[in-house]
Amino acid sequence: MGLKPDQGVAEARAICPRLDVITADEAADRHFLEAVADWCDRYTPLVALNGNDGIFLDITGCSHLFGGEKALLDDVLRRLFQLGLDARGAVSSTPGLSWAVARFGGGEVIADEDAGSVLAPLPVAALRLPEETVLALHKTGLKQVGDLLTAPRAPLARRFGPLLLQRLDQALGREDEPVSPRQPVAELSIERRLAEPIQGKEELLHLAGQMAMTLKSELEVRGQGGRRFELLLFRVDGRVFRIVAGTSMAIRDPARIAALFSERFTALHDDLDAGYGFEILRLNVLQAEAHDMVQSDFSGNGPVDTSLAVFIDQAMARFGPDCLARPVLQESHVPERASLLLSVTGMEEAVLAVAGRPAGSVPPLRAARPIRLLKNPEPVQAMSEVPEGAPMSFRWRRAQHRVRRAEGPERLAAEWWIDGEDAPIRDYFRIEDEAGRRYWLFREGLYDPDAEMPRWFMHGVFA
Amino acid sequence: MAANAMARETLFALRQTIARIEGRASTGLIATAENPSRAELGAPVTGNPGQAVLPVGPMELDALMEGGLPLDALTEIRSAQLRDAGAASGFVLALSVRLLARRAAVSGPARVLWIGERVVAMEAGLPHAAGLMDYGLEPHHLLYATPRRLEDGLWLAEAGLGSGAFAAVILEINGNPRCFGLTESRRLSLKARSAGRPLLLLRQGGEEEAGSAFFRFCVRPAPAQGYRLPDGTQLGRSIGNPAFHVTLEKSRLPAPADIHLEWNAHDCLFFLARPDALSAGKPADFGAGFPASADRSDRTQPMGTILAFSRAS
Repeated sequence: MGLKPDQGVAEARAICPRLDVITADEAADRHFLEAVADWCDRYTPLVALNGNDGIFLDITGCSHLFGGEKALLDDVLRRLFQLGLDARGAVSSTPGLSWAVARFGGGEVIADEDAGSVLAPLPVAALRLPEETVLALHKTGLKQVGDLLTAPRAPLARRFGPLLLQRLDQALGREDEPVSPRQPVAELSIERRLAEPIQGKEELLHLAGQMAMTLKSELEVRGQGGRRFELLLFRVDGRVFRIVAGTSMAIRDPARIAALFSERFTALHDDLDAGYGFEILRLNVLQAEAHDMVQSDFSGNGPVDTSLAVFIDQAMARFGPDCLARPVLQESHVPERASLLLSVTGMEEAVLAVAGRPAGSVPPLRAARPIRLLKNPEPVQAMSEVPEGAPMSFRWRRAQHRVRRAEGPERLAAEWWIDGEDAPIRDYFRIEDEAGRRYWLFREGLYDPDAEMPRWFMHGVFA
Repeated sequence: MAANAMARETLFALRQTIARIEGRASTGLIATAENPSRAELGAPVTGNPGQAVLPVGPMELDALMEGGLPLDALTEIRSAQLRDAGAASGFVLALSVRLLARRAAVSGPARVLWIGERVVAMEAGLPHAAGLMDYGLEPHHLLYATPRRLEDGLWLAEAGLGSGAFAAVILEINGNPRCFGLTESRRLSLKARSAGRPLLLLRQGGEEEAGSAFFRFCVRPAPAQGYRLPDGTQLGRSIGNPAFHVTLEKSRLPAPADIHLEWNAHDCLFFLARPDALSAGKPADFGAGFPASADRSDRTQPMGTILAFSRAS
């Protein structure tokens, strides 16, 4: 038709008046490429993106499942064609050679011994070289890879840089080129390919339970239990859903694994669109840990009470990892840092059961602390006796409170190694107002003629 | 005569049916013979056979609750305003400390689940481990959940009750939300009954509302007494043990009952507090008084002889 890439829109419209112009959306293209890479997960877990329009699949050891390399390549290209994509592919023992043959050659399966002869007639651009190098090679008359194969190596390296020889060696297999996959490879994986796609949630869970039973025997052989599981659902039209669920303890029990995913489904049910159904299910164990065999007694209960772990797993599977937390004492006198609400994600049953302080230990030497602490201290307007008196009345959240009794001040200096040496000093007061509510206020800063006026804040409430 | 007897029999049969629906044995016509003495502290007392209760505090409070806090039912504790949230939280935490102490004796799980509410956490704060320790509750015995919506909180409450991993579950809600009505509270009370664990519903800043709770308390803050010194007097102008003004609004009594309680964190017990004003004692030594003037002249000097310089250094 006469249209070339990098042509202006006006010129192209002049050649073809009824041209449809769409703005390039690189983010959407990338997203689409990632979706196709997800789809390629059905063949092998080692999938890598290459540039803006290429995908590398490492099919070492997988090809026999699909009837050979040629059958696998044909299957991939056929399915991509049916999905509406124009794709070309090649299979060889090096990524460089496959890249070259897929883009510039015929696109087939190449045996190791044919590498040189297949590579020779291809143009130099097939070696993934930058533009300038390709132009320089053209100027010197080296237009095909075959010319480079016969030329002496040292002058080539001197003139065009080491990249040229590196690419050549990578294509021929003399140098290794690793393909780093997009997702980390799972330690254990069970797959189920269905003849008829399924849509219902109960059927999906049932299948997940069955796969978990197969997984259990595998994990038992290794003496491990899984901490993080991933369920991959391949939809018929190519979309892939990944559902990850984690637990607080390594588990092997298929019922518990199925329960985890049941909670995840409930949490996700709007996002999981079954469409026309799922045809492939895969259950991966992303993280496994040593899990000792524990013999249960006659009543069926093990020595360790797992009810808390089961509850935590259920709650985290449904609401995410941050929904449960425990208050933990820290080694700090600054109240915000003295107690932290740590989420129970990584804690095992043993850690959860540990006593905070050994019995009979000396209680800390400090004034009383409030049972509830505000996340950020709120400013109050207080009227107090200068320089170190307790407030006599204060105004908090637009309500005036008269102070009936006050205890204090308790002076807490800032931690200079964290807050810096200029951090202000706080004087804490325990206040009771006329109704009987007890608060914890502090004055930040000292009354100093040079410094700015100190401010009052509300930090917590007592019972 | 016969009609009278028939009427009395019908009445008795009705009372028995009602008692069976409510899950307790009927109080017979003769009360003294069946009810055992309730003065055993520390052991679960079945004041009404079929319902285990925990004697919580002073005898007066247990008498109001017919033995103690029900161990497998929903109990509601509300605070009238959101700024009384501290008092209500303190009362509920004190009840949990009593429940944990009992659990430790009966060798059950020593853990409490507190399902917090976002607005209340913003208004009144999050649990502080040092303060909990001072209050008598070990911080590692508390599990604090932060659900985003009320429905998530209800699910957590049911799951927590059903899992059997907690001695008590505290569900905190803000006010009287529309999605927490009679059906939800009935469902939660049935779940508590079937699981055999108490559920404490903490309604912060809420009105009285009909629910399925057996008892409903309204907690208001009350002035505390001072610290007790070893010689028996009180340290004046000090703030001692936390005090609560508790009203038992819903119970089997005909009228709401008031009681003033004080929580002793060291002994983990409730005591009766007298609602009178602070008793006079030795004044507290603040140490914040102005020092006596020294090295100053006794009266102002006439102007002109001495000039005031700004600070030289």
